[in-house]
Amino acid sequence: MIYLDNAATTMHKPQTVIDAVVHAMTSMGNASRGAHTGALEASRTIYETRRKIAKLFGCKRPDHVVFTCNSTEALNIAIQGAIPAKSHVITTDLEHNSVLRPLYRLKEESGVCLDFARADRQGRLDLQELEGLIRPDTKAIVCTHMSNLTGEIVDIARIGRMTKDRGILLCVDASQSAGNTPIDMEQMGIDILCFTGHKGLMGPQGTGGMCIREGVEIHPLKEGGSGVQSYRHRQPVEYPTRLEAGTLNGHGLAGLSAALDYILETGVETIGRKERMLAEHFYEGVSQIEGVKVYGCFEDKNRGPVVALNVREYDSSEVSDVLSVDYDIATRPGAHCAPRMHEALGTVDQGAVRFSFSWFNTVEETDQAIEAVRKIALA
Amino acid sequence: MNLRYYILFANYEQGLALRDILLQDGIPNRIAPAPRAIQGDLSCGMSLLVEPEYIEQARRSIEEHHAAYHRIASLEGQIRPNRDRYC
Repeated sequence: MIYLDNAATTMHKPQTVIDAVVHAMTSMGNASRGAHTGALEASRTIYETRRKIAKLFGCKRPDHVVFTCNSTEALNIAIQGAIPAKSHVITTDLEHNSVLRPLYRLKEESGVCLDFARADRQGRLDLQELEGLIRPDTKAIVCTHMSNLTGEIVDIARIGRMTKDRGILLCVDASQSAGNTPIDMEQMGIDILCFTGHKGLMGPQGTGGMCIREGVEIHPLKEGGSGVQSYRHRQPVEYPTRLEAGTLNGHGLAGLSAALDYILETGVETIGRKERMLAEHFYEGVSQIEGVKVYGCFEDKNRGPVVALNVREYDSSEVSDVLSVDYDIATRPGAHCAPRMHEALGTVDQGAVRFSFSWFNTVEETDQAIEAVRKIALA
Repeated sequence: MNLRYYILFANYEQGLALRDILLQDGIPNRIAPAPRAIQGDLSCGMSLLVEPEYIEQARRSIEEHHAAYHRIASLEGQIRPNRDRYC
């Protein structure tokens, strides 16, 4: 199979990740529960993983790295735990449902007033317009770093400069950018960074988390076992325990730890450069084919490794089905959990076929995908 | 005419469960992405594609097993009419 659905999850992982999970499953106890060898190995593994995440994302406090099952859980904790009722919040048309649905919930249940920075027909944001939405009662801006549909990168540092002196919380969804695009929370002015472990970070599914700037208070979404302060009625107040009720996915985090070693050794810039080269090569190939329409703006080379397209008036699901059945190429059709972005691009009815590239894809695979699109367009 | 029948679902769990039932009953079908044109707001991204000659059998099987599904829709194929494989 030629796997080009890496924006959903990376299928090919470094062998060290697989080995680390297998090792953990034969040696790991429960982190923060006791002091025997197995428990300590789990605690040590998770402790080291926090430090690597903090290093990768420029988070000053490793103990402010909280692990979750995925970025959706992290975003729910952040959005529901840090945004006050009846406040004003700004988000964008580029967002995934992992941002939109928790915000819609706050709007319906907590009286939060929601404004959207609009994307144009190419899926680009006007950050001047976004700044114009800021009001005296604006409490948060929740924004993706990279569109999961077009690969558009949002200038988070510029938004960080808008929020810093106004006391506005900046919560960033780095689901698509983590691992392929440099992120520095301090330099970019990010208060809460939410990430997933199984996409660009090349770790196992069921891993993810959030990095929280010092001084940011988040009310816990869950309460329960923590292994510490057991006689207290409520969840411990200290991070990361405050937001980590229940046993963590230690086996998965051991894999994520190995994946982070791989990324830190290889370099985010190196990984990003290769992925972008593949996406650009694919774009140059398919954009020449008659009947193919590519979405997004490709003038800016600083973009994610994602290309969304349609072939003639064909339903995107049927094109993706042909790619899978006839060419053994895995892509993602439909709506991609990004309803507002599809509205902006005008692709609600047709959907789009998304090709997303990873560190382990090759130019040869990309060429085969171009050829498959060409044949479908000729059919 | 290249009419295809798609069984649509509220989620993947329903779809995979019905696929097991149809295979058990000897009704050829295959998993395919649910076309946008018939997906609507309620169904998920997967569907079961069933040949026209088997669709009535599939309906009976659904009824007999009280299987959960969203709806059955027909749609003309757009790309290479004769490419379908159902198993």
